[in-house]
Amino acid sequence: MKSYLLFRLYGPLASWGDIAVGTHRPSYDHPSKSAVMGLLAAAVGIRRDEENKHRELAEAYNFAVLVNSPGVFLRDYHTAQIPSVSSIKKQKHIDTRKGELGVEKEKLTAVLSSRDYYSDSLYTIAICSKEEHSEAFPYPLELLEKKLNEPEFVLYLGRKSCPLALPVEAKIIDCNGLKEAFDKVEFKCEPLLRLLKKQKQARLYWEGEENGLIPIHTIMRRDLTLSRKRWQFADRKEHYMMLELGE
Amino acid sequence: MTDFIQLHILTSYPPSNLNRDDLGRPKTAVMGGTQRLRISSQSLKRAWRTSDIFMEALSGHVGIRTKEMGNFVYKALTTGVKLTEILERKSEFSIYPKMEEKKAGDISKQIASVFGKLKKGGFEIEQLAHFSPEEIETIENLIIDLAQSDGELTEENIGILRKKNTAVDIAMFGRMLAANTQYNVEAAVQVSHAITVHKVAVEDDFFTAVDDLNNGEEDMGSGHLGETEFAAGLFYIYTCINRDLLKENLGRDEELTEKALKALVEAALTISPTGKQNSFASRAYASYVLAEKGTQQPRSLSVAFLKALEEKDLLGSTIKELNNTREKIESVYGKCCEQKEEMNAYTGEGSIQGILKFVAE
Repeated sequence: MKSYLLFRLYGPLASWGDIAVGTHRPSYDHPSKSAVMGLLAAAVGIRRDEENKHRELAEAYNFAVLVNSPGVFLRDYHTAQIPSVSSIKKQKHIDTRKGELGVEKEKLTAVLSSRDYYSDSLYTIAICSKEEHSEAFPYPLELLEKKLNEPEFVLYLGRKSCPLALPVEAKIIDCNGLKEAFDKVEFKCEPLLRLLKKQKQARLYWEGEENGLIPIHTIMRRDLTLSRKRWQFADRKEHYMMLELGE
Repeated sequence: MTDFIQLHILTSYPPSNLNRDDLGRPKTAVMGGTQRLRISSQSLKRAWRTSDIFMEALSGHVGIRTKEMGNFVYKALTTGVKLTEILERKSEFSIYPKMEEKKAGDISKQIASVFGKLKKGGFEIEQLAHFSPEEIETIENLIIDLAQSDGELTEENIGILRKKNTAVDIAMFGRMLAANTQYNVEAAVQVSHAITVHKVAVEDDFFTAVDDLNNGEEDMGSGHLGETEFAAGLFYIYTCINRDLLKENLGRDEELTEKALKALVEAALTISPTGKQNSFASRAYASYVLAEKGTQQPRSLSVAFLKALEEKDLLGSTIKELNNTREKIESVYGKCCEQKEEMNAYTGEGSIQGILKFVAE
């Protein structure tokens, strides 16, 4: 028997940062481990600069995500107004956004970026302790469960502008494997989400060995948190298969 | 345990183009399989934090907007008259020693440049700056100090001048400096993208402009052809404030935290994004707000509008749907907040004062 912590992620918009260089800020098509571990960190109240705690979290648990509804891709054209460098050269103190934009109109320019989101997406997340660690390291699943339902910091779907739209319904399932956990778990939010395009066959991504699951393929994903300060992430093996969901 | 304040706001904008994409089209998103109009989170925040309300609500009083504070500071320093009395055009009695002109000029420039970029040759700044009564008082005290001690302006003096507004702006919306992470501040306020509760088809307005001097003798054509896209919508806006983090970011100053909360909520309820306002004049106040306080996991109520609403009495049924869904969620999951407060401009119940009081306390 193994214990899994399962919870649901739903919000009108979600963004799962992929490797991003420059102005294009792409989103992966399902949650990254770094995003979900960041969510757990927010729930228990780990701050961004507490490097070791973030690393511990990322290394202590195996992570799986089931894509119940893949959602619709959305590319957002994003501009942010800034004063030109020359116009604020002599201004030592820029204190507020209003102050920053206070230069003459002709001197304002903009930085552009394009940011990707998914709307109408729904995911089920499963977390379990890695075998090499004791079950209670660094946090027992019961504590994570409790904290997700009453978090220290606000939880969000990859970007702060993407709030959750339903309680995550964190719960612990004891069973013989990931497949059984997904079969067994029931979420109360189902009737509220009738309009989402849910699939009978859903994509499942997981890491580590799982009883009875045979990957169709395995990819490397660079989303294992090394340092949030320096924004460094390590490669991680992620398995993939299609999972048939019971009624 | 953390105290969260959640705001569920309904604001109806008439035909407008408040937030556009790279083609000049109003931004959209798909929700529940249908297209909705969208105003990005960034657009809303920009409008709020650059609004006068934000500054005025913070000081609790209406301040002064001027480019000329430097001139008045100079006058105060060289005549020995109190700054407030000069600003109010009252008596002209000198009460402290007059400063020699060169030094007074330097100090005036330094003070003025805290609030904006100095114009060439003079003490004026290039843009209007807002001075709260507290800031003016701080400047006045600084002037008197400097005049009496014949001292110099220090970095520390300058820092004091804008501390409050700085603190609040960044405490709420955060700051990220990739190059200098020690100055990073985690935003205490989360703002969602605003999304309409109903389906929206963006419309094209094909317009022509007549050349007034064209008498039609040779050419009857128009002087200009253009196209602009627009749409109208009733938006759901969701905001979540981490009250504990906000207070922490503000150095545990409870009074300032309360002021900041009031300023934020007032701006959120009354300030519209500025996009294409001159063409559409689409300014609007919120028609409805539900404020909640509690330690439970915050959640937006956007599922209420997953099925796009189509009713004729759109505002009325939206308010009803929002509250129905809220109750359904509570009956399924249990309590989602400890206390709540409503303002309903549709039925005329509640008031903005009531909401501000509820949120701040």
